[in-house]
Amino acid sequence: MFQHGGAMYEAGIERARHGVRVEATGLSRRFGEQLVLDGISLAIEPGETFTLLGANGAGKTTFVRLVIGYLVPSSGRVTVDGLSPETAPRAVHARLGYVAETSRLYPDLRVRGLLRFAGQVRGLAGPALDEAVERMLLRFDLTTVDRRLVGNLSKGYQQRVSLAQAFVHDPPLLVVDEPTSGLDPLQQFEVREFLRSLAGQRTVILCTHDLFEARALATRVGVLRAGKLAALGSVDEVLDAAAPLDLFRAAKAMPA
Amino acid sequence: MKALFALVRKELAVLFGSPMAYLVLALVGLVTALLFFDHLRVYNQILFVYTSNASGGFELGTLPERVNLEDQVFLPLMEQLGVTLIGIVPLVTMRVFAEERARGTEEILMTSLLTPSQIVLGKFAATFCFVTLMLTCSLVYPAAAVLRAGLGLPHLAAVALGLFALSLALAAIGLACSAFSANQIMAAVSAYAVAFVIYDFGWLEPFLGAGAGKLLDAISLQPRFVGFAEGIVSLADLAYFAGIIGTAFAVARLGLDVVRVR
Amino acid sequence: MQRLALPGLIAVVFGLGSYYATGEMGPFGIANVALGGGALLLSGIAAARRVHGLAEGAARRILLPRVALCLAVLLGAIAIERLAAHSELHLDWTVDRRFELFPATKSALRTLPSELTATLYHDRADPRARRTRMLLEEFARVGSVRVRVRDLEEAQEDVERFGIRGTNAVVLELRGAYEIVDRPTEGELLEAILRLRGAPTRVLYAAVGEGEGDLESVEASGYSGLASALRTEGYELRGLFTATADQVPEDAGGLLVIGARRTLRPEAAGAVQRYLERGGRLVALIEPGVRSGLEGVIEHFGFAIPDALVIDPAAGPVEGAPAGVNPVVAAYASHPITRGFSNRTLTFFLRARPVEAVHKPEPDDELVSLAFTSPRSWLNFDPAAVHGTSAPRPPPGTVFQRYPLVGAGRYPRPSGEARIVVFGDADFATNQYLRSLYNLDLLMNAIHWALAREDAITLRPKLLTPNQDPLTPQQTLGMLYGVGLLVPELLLIGAAVTWLRRRGA
Repeated sequence: MFQHGGAMYEAGIERARHGVRVEATGLSRRFGEQLVLDGISLAIEPGETFTLLGANGAGKTTFVRLVIGYLVPSSGRVTVDGLSPETAPRAVHARLGYVAETSRLYPDLRVRGLLRFAGQVRGLAGPALDEAVERMLLRFDLTTVDRRLVGNLSKGYQQRVSLAQAFVHDPPLLVVDEPTSGLDPLQQFEVREFLRSLAGQRTVILCTHDLFEARALATRVGVLRAGKLAALGSVDEVLDAAAPLDLFRAAKAMPA
Repeated sequence: MKALFALVRKELAVLFGSPMAYLVLALVGLVTALLFFDHLRVYNQILFVYTSNASGGFELGTLPERVNLEDQVFLPLMEQLGVTLIGIVPLVTMRVFAEERARGTEEILMTSLLTPSQIVLGKFAATFCFVTLMLTCSLVYPAAAVLRAGLGLPHLAAVALGLFALSLALAAIGLACSAFSANQIMAAVSAYAVAFVIYDFGWLEPFLGAGAGKLLDAISLQPRFVGFAEGIVSLADLAYFAGIIGTAFAVARLGLDVVRVR
Repeated sequence: MQRLALPGLIAVVFGLGSYYATGEMGPFGIANVALGGGALLLSGIAAARRVHGLAEGAARRILLPRVALCLAVLLGAIAIERLAAHSELHLDWTVDRRFELFPATKSALRTLPSELTATLYHDRADPRARRTRMLLEEFARVGSVRVRVRDLEEAQEDVERFGIRGTNAVVLELRGAYEIVDRPTEGELLEAILRLRGAPTRVLYAAVGEGEGDLESVEASGYSGLASALRTEGYELRGLFTATADQVPEDAGGLLVIGARRTLRPEAAGAVQRYLERGGRLVALIEPGVRSGLEGVIEHFGFAIPDALVIDPAAGPVEGAPAGVNPVVAAYASHPITRGFSNRTLTFFLRARPVEAVHKPEPDDELVSLAFTSPRSWLNFDPAAVHGTSAPRPPPGTVFQRYPLVGAGRYPRPSGEARIVVFGDADFATNQYLRSLYNLDLLMNAIHWALAREDAITLRPKLLTPNQDPLTPQQTLGMLYGVGLLVPELLLIGAAVTWLRRRGA
């Protein structure tokens, strides 16, 4: 499915070969009386594929929304490449692409039109925009459906379009929230292959509750439970140290 | 700037990619045409009762002065159109922010290079384009007919300008309400409520007395529109409508930040 | 409590909706607005608590400046609107410029001796009341005028006290006296103000003795209406008995000759000429088919008034006369007398003769033809033969063109500037027709101009004759089908096409 383009793609990688550093320090977020994230501190190095594990409601989506600047922290801070999403939002947004938990696209736009729009609002124009759109259509195998309305596509194709719109401007940071949710095994494989191809060349923050996915893709893993960072370390350190279900249970203690 | 234009184009593409836009335009045009036709029919009946001479004659004093096309047909229709706009504009604006938020596509915009102010500006611009088109569709029939009423193009232009200002103000109010909600129904109902409250403060007179009337008139939409309907283009009235739009813009911008910190 | 917001809003919408539907705030509306408002208040309190919870750290950092900006924008908008209101800048795009006051009106308003109270009485269904109120507010902007608006139903005492006869009536009160204006146009209101205020007087002599129009006669053919209007606008009328007078008195501000039926004595005509030579002012209404004796004087001052009837077929049959015999004028030259006149301010004449500017007695003289018939007009040199109901036919070789019916001349002389205005008809100023269309305005403006009172020039029945012609059923239907229904139909087809394309795409 995913094809490596030619010179255009290579040039994109040259520009953002190593990804960017993402750092969170004492990051907390409250919704009303409910503390959803509590003092999260971690650092994601350039080129890492960092996987954030946790049960539904653990705070994964809230964390990524803080990273991308859609939400504002109640306390603490987060930086992307040393830049705060609050004080330098445009600089941060220029460095990241975001794929939401469920395909959040404009159903009334055609695939090509959506990609063009995504590129335009991320600063692409003229020949660079045309090139980027063609590259994305090629890379995510969307050329046969480029004239179709997004709302009429299957879930698998919609997920490809989601990835394509997030990647159209070739960002050094890709934030992906449960990208394989609801996909069939083949589609899941294709998505994972794409993410794997970025290893070492982009920083990827991947939120998932799929242990197999985490093991397959991650260079480091963090586990969120009830808003706290219950574990942080390499795949072996975290995933092999505890029973799989215990990673999601609130009661049992986890290795540091 | 290019990103802003891209947003406006996207908004219009989404709007006209759905049958709803055409339905709203057709509905407004149809309602106006049928209302106008009905007014004309009644007017002709009144004339038939009064007139004693056949056409071609020139009889003085056979008709009361107030029986004329301007007072019996055109101006009442324009006032009805003003009220009709209150009913229709919130249906157009309710989805602008609320649908994005409900669908989750707001995150695409908020993680783009567009600033929140540009996002609000782009959505305002696209909505204003649509409202202008809606108004044009509704005015085609009355304009074609009432130029014959002897109103003259400038007076017709004044009325159109008033309707334009009123509809943009209503659209701005609707957009501000939409910016605070992820629910389109909530956005529409709150827009109706605000528009009804400030359209004509005459409902407060029983409680505040006629003395407060002048102050209330100054902040109501309908009295401000009346001047345009009578052919007066007042700088104060234009400033009033511009103020409504500007304030609504600032409030909509606030709405985007409220979502981020809520 | 937050869940109360939507029901509260719905209640407010229905409460106010009932107000707009019925025009009054009844129990249903009051109950809904009260309950809905209460629900919104409780919901607002709940929201405020949440905001208070958020008013810490990042939330305060981000929201407070944004709220402050909203308030600043609102205050700025109010300030700009107030400044704009203070400037009173506005454009009057009505066809008849009905809200732009004439200098005469402004002058009268600015010289009011004390505050004038203008009360408008109307019933709710009258569409003219709003326009009248706006006109009165314009008055209030210029002079010391207090404007009040009262519903006729609630002002029965005033109706009986003032004798108000109908809706859209204005009662003007000044220093204890009052005037009722049933048809509150700018001109009628101005006349009422002048009557209340009392206007400075100038002496105007009216020629009598040779069958001229009787300024005291209240008959339909009399001119008492003109006399009344002249007195209202500050003229003292005196008679000049031309049968015996050999000169025009020194105190004459002007001389008025209305439709003499017999020829003036040569001595009288000479007196008029000498009066003019020393800077006198003359307004003459000359009937066709009559030798008034002033023809020589008028020709001396550059106007030719051939004894012929102007036939204008474009006028149609007016007042029962054959078509074209009573011309209706809609074309005017640019002149102080016709200030504000346009093709919508009609005047009409009954059997009129042309008044043509043919030569300037002196190079600095100014002669202007003022009011013109349509280009289809022609001259009938046998006025006596034009009668009955059949329209006169033009003989072969007739020249069709516009003919002026009014002429005005200004003649600077060492002893003073003479001014003459000549009308080719006198019947238009009779009681029966003076207040029709804009006849009164044209004549009064001519007199004002002749006596160099340009500041008094105005239009009296300020409202145009509104278009009362019906659209024929065929025209109405044609426009409905062609424009009113076609556009929505095309849009619905567009909706269908869009929907089908969406399904297929």
